[in-house]
Amino acid sequence: MSLKKYRKKSPWILHYNCGSCNGCDIEILAALAPKYDLERFGILNNGNPKQSDIFLVTGPLTYRSRERLVELYTQMPEPKVVVAVGSCTCTGGVFNDMYNVENGIDKYIPVDVYIPGCAASPELIIDGVVKGLEILEQKTKEIEKPKKLLGELDESKASIDRTKFAGNIDDRKN
Amino acid sequence: MATKKTINIPLGSQHISLLEPIRFNFSTQNEKIVDVDWDVGFVHRGIEKACTTNFEFKQVGYVVARVCGLCAITHSLSYTIGVEKLLDHEVNKKIKYLRLLMLELDRIHSHMLCLAHVSENAGFEGMFMKIMADRELVMDIQEAISGNRVQFDYVSIGGVNRDLDLETEKLLKKNISLLEEKIDDLIDKFTNNWSLSLKYKNIGHLSKEDAYNMNALGPMARACGAKIDVRLETSDFPYDEVGYELVLEQGGDIHSRNMVRLREIKNSIKMVRNIVDGVPEGEIMEKVKGKPKGETFMRIEAPRGEIFYYLNATGKNMLQRVRIKTPTFSQIPAMVNVFKGANYADAHAILASFDPCMSCTAK
Repeated sequence: MSLKKYRKKSPWILHYNCGSCNGCDIEILAALAPKYDLERFGILNNGNPKQSDIFLVTGPLTYRSRERLVELYTQMPEPKVVVAVGSCTCTGGVFNDMYNVENGIDKYIPVDVYIPGCAASPELIIDGVVKGLEILEQKTKEIEKPKKLLGELDESKASIDRTKFAGNIDDRKN
Repeated sequence: MATKKTINIPLGSQHISLLEPIRFNFSTQNEKIVDVDWDVGFVHRGIEKACTTNFEFKQVGYVVARVCGLCAITHSLSYTIGVEKLLDHEVNKKIKYLRLLMLELDRIHSHMLCLAHVSENAGFEGMFMKIMADRELVMDIQEAISGNRVQFDYVSIGGVNRDLDLETEKLLKKNISLLEEKIDDLIDKFTNNWSLSLKYKNIGHLSKEDAYNMNALGPMARACGAKIDVRLETSDFPYDEVGYELVLEQGGDIHSRNMVRLREIKNSIKMVRNIVDGVPEGEIMEKVKGKPKGETFMRIEAPRGEIFYYLNATGKNMLQRVRIKTPTFSQIPAMVNVFKGANYADAHAILASFDPCMSCTAK
């Protein structure tokens, strides 16, 4: 069977801390522990960005973490979901307007799920990750759609617009 | 082989065994670490500056708790007692007892998290899951008393925000007695398990003279036999009435640091029982008037060592200066000394046994 059928059955997690106070990181560890069992959804914590599907980010963005955050995001393969854990990751929280802090991470990478709370409790983290799994399934279906080789139909002229063909003759002249 | 070749191995800012971003650079010769340098400042946010420009003195106690999530109550407690000294106000005995209760519960859960992390980095995944399951007993007590699992804003200027009632006392005594049997079981496992002793005994050694010379603090110094503890020297809390004992070990390696933490958990359980039985009558909150003026300092024993606060005020709403000195910052020379001469394969277990906190160090 193909990979796309089983991707939602075992998504792997990448976790990065860009300036948090360790409160949300402890709660992520507690959510993986036996009482609130995140592993029953098939989720594993893995440190490799090239094998993971879900990106958990904690903390407001400090100036030195910016390049590392964008670099980790670009190294992940394409159907991926970004989850912002904690209120300082969403808007800045108590660290708003300090001199070394960007207010939230959504200026730099697109965010799919926001989780509130200081610190976010394990029940909220489980809810956010399960909501992220639905978005992951939608993104895999969008990738499977075939790309258009022919141009769109122009109804006013009742003809096909030949300038948008793939491998157009005019492109080869230039 | 006339000359040995040195090779640099980086341990980057994002790694599966690091909760916080640190970057190491080990210079090695044939599996032995010769030299190490590290970079700490990824987490700098500028909290000290914001305490004097953005917030008034009544709000700073809640801002300072966000320096670190593990020792949050010690930061806010040191600031609050410092401001009460500047206002010439002494709280009654019930408030002191309730503050001491939350301080000891915080020490229990921080030590258990460190023991779980050391087990995971030595390659024992099942022990990590077992200790994290036992830790939930303490987190339930904290949620019942203060309303939140971590970052409980329990202390404010002039008192505490919630009271003990009969139902939480029943839950606390039941969970504490359950936890004590499991700690006895853990002490037996950490001393007698053969495969754990290969990773822990006689590895990461620090001598007693180096601990005094290089300014080691907290459980790292007490594992070498050095009598360093702030709870012995200060008299802000009634530690003599609730049965405090000094814990010492003589080994100086990773195994001794684990045993110091396990025996301190047992001592804290005994103290929590005595506090709940002996809480006196009184008010929870007292009115405090005026604005702070002058300068003070304040010291409290955190789970990792000594926390030092310096405050300076001029009788206005905003403070003049807030200076925070944290335990991990003071211990860096001693930590570099332990790494030299160790095997590279043991570097993760040695690093986790220090229990470092980078959010405290960079602020």
